Amino acid sequence: MTKRMAQTKFIGQVTKVRQEKPAMVIEWPRSITHVHTYGMLTPFFQGLKEGKLRATYCPNEGCPENGLWIPPRAHCPDCHSEMKWKTLRNPVIGTVHTFTEVVYAGTGIELSTPYWQIDVEIPGVVTIPKSYLLYGKPYIGMKVKAEFRTKNPTNTVLDYYWVPYET
Amino acid sequence: MIRFKEGNLRVPKWNRRVFMVAGGTTAYRKYFPEYKLEELVMIAFKNLLEDNDLKMDPLEVKGLINYAAYGEFADHFQDQLLCQAKVHDYLGLDPLYNMGIKTGGATGGSTIMQAAMAVASGYANVALAAGWERMDEVDTRTGNFYISTAACKDFETRLGRIYSSYYAPMANRFAWAFKVSEITRAKIAVKNHLYACSSPYAQQPGKYTVEDVLNSPMSAYPLRFLECCAMSVGAAAVLICDEETAYRLTDRPCELFICGGTHTLRVADRRPMDIPLLPHETPDMYKDLIEKQSRYPGFESFLAARFAAWLTYRMAGIQNPLEELDLVELHDAFTISDLQTYGDIGLRPYGQEQDYIESGDAYYINPHTGLPGKCPSNLSGGLIGTMHAVGATGIFQAVECLWQLQQKYDKFHGDPKIWKKWGKKKPKDWQSLQIPETSKQALWVSHAGVGSHVTVGILRKSW
Repeated sequence: MTKRMAQTKFIGQVTKVRQEKPAMVIEWPRSITHVHTYGMLTPFFQGLKEGKLRATYCPNEGCPENGLWIPPRAHCPDCHSEMKWKTLRNPVIGTVHTFTEVVYAGTGIELSTPYWQIDVEIPGVVTIPKSYLLYGKPYIGMKVKAEFRTKNPTNTVLDYYWVPYET
Repeated sequence: MIRFKEGNLRVPKWNRRVFMVAGGTTAYRKYFPEYKLEELVMIAFKNLLEDNDLKMDPLEVKGLINYAAYGEFADHFQDQLLCQAKVHDYLGLDPLYNMGIKTGGATGGSTIMQAAMAVASGYANVALAAGWERMDEVDTRTGNFYISTAACKDFETRLGRIYSSYYAPMANRFAWAFKVSEITRAKIAVKNHLYACSSPYAQQPGKYTVEDVLNSPMSAYPLRFLECCAMSVGAAAVLICDEETAYRLTDRPCELFICGGTHTLRVADRRPMDIPLLPHETPDMYKDLIEKQSRYPGFESFLAARFAAWLTYRMAGIQNPLEELDLVELHDAFTISDLQTYGDIGLRPYGQEQDYIESGDAYYINPHTGLPGKCPSNLSGGLIGTMHAVGATGIFQAVECLWQLQQKYDKFHGDPKIWKKWGKKKPKDWQSLQIPETSKQALWVSHAGVGSHVTVGILRKSW
């Protein structure tokens, strides 16, 4: 006769029922941590923690694009050369290209709402990177200065931001 | 600067003509616990097989299918990898091959393109294109976060965690560059919510005023809640055929042309380039615009949409879209994306997009003249008024275009039984939005990201 001692036990959490009608709806909890690499862009994120804004550029003189890239890329999209790094000289002064005030944000937002998200033109940079304005109210054409979260860095792109720059 | 070489600009050409003959859909809801996902797809599939006046028994039609393309935006919404296998089995189509398609908000358009390529190549005579999304397993803010992972996770997602915050900067720049009042955007929201009132499938119908829109809660300045699309559950399907089979199945087939374009996921990375000109455009038209704005496409326009239109118009022989199209269904995920697209697909020149709304051309009935609009837009109610079950969206838009050209708008929107089927009562003041019988061509745009993938499809009446 087979013994019942070694029977399989239910070791999970009992699934909660949200509603019974018109169909049975259950809860399906999730708690997951992904492990994500910054890969060859690691110098950019390291640089932010050191108060440096780093960009990449294509060293191939025959390439049609030799401007700076932020967000950086490890490889040139035009000629596929491996890009080189350049640290922008502080203070980095940019111009607000456009902006929005984020009022209603999705789950997990790490900035207190409402806040101003800005897209900034930087001299010599071919791209217009997205960031945020720490204080003040942006307008198109506004001059802004890059600052860095060197104390208690978040280890993310939030480690640089902009503040109004008045000459 | 994007520079093209010879092969890059080859205009796609089907190896044989491709047709769309039937469509099906569910209603769309924010929360749809009554049905599992595969059950919703079955409902849309049955609608396609049984209700389109096809000249064969539904199961005989099913017996002609030998390939399926399935669109789904996000595995993390469904929480089910290989959802297409589950759906395909549920529809009873094994062991015919199927492929899952994922191109963000353009998934529906890409899915139809995939089915069309199967027919054009000869792999299939009859292909099913179906799409779905189940966005109600998580709360709205978590849904918004999920969608925002379709921004660059390293450089953008953390700066908003909601997609409106990636479109809103475009709205501010567009308004600044072209001196556009936010009233124009609000009119788009009013129009599309209103047209949704005629649809038994609509999730967000409403009779709003411009003031209602502008006074609705802010999502990301300047985009208000009433300017933003629905987050939906639902499914849609179309049947794609070769020419011979199309006429065997229906007396009202529509020939299909569809092409796509792409551009950077991050708007930040859009380097300036020359404007690819549509057949009716000349370089002189944009001399001032480029001088003033300094960059194209910048934050104002979608190169992916322009490139898709550039190809599709040449593929279909369209010379002037405003003159030759009788209906457009555009991807109004936000009022601003709708507005921007008018320039991309040539309904107006770049810089004059707002005139498409202000002139009344975009309306079913032009509010200035009381006559039919020249090329009405989003009579389905669009994404703002009716649905955005992402993987289904580009397919639902095509279904609406097909039924309009087949003169079946009233059949599929005005029958009280359909309203009842979806738990609604047909409004007493229901209005038909059927386009005239003389209409020949309809276009729909399926659009992803902040313009990362776009398909432009055209259906041409072929009877």
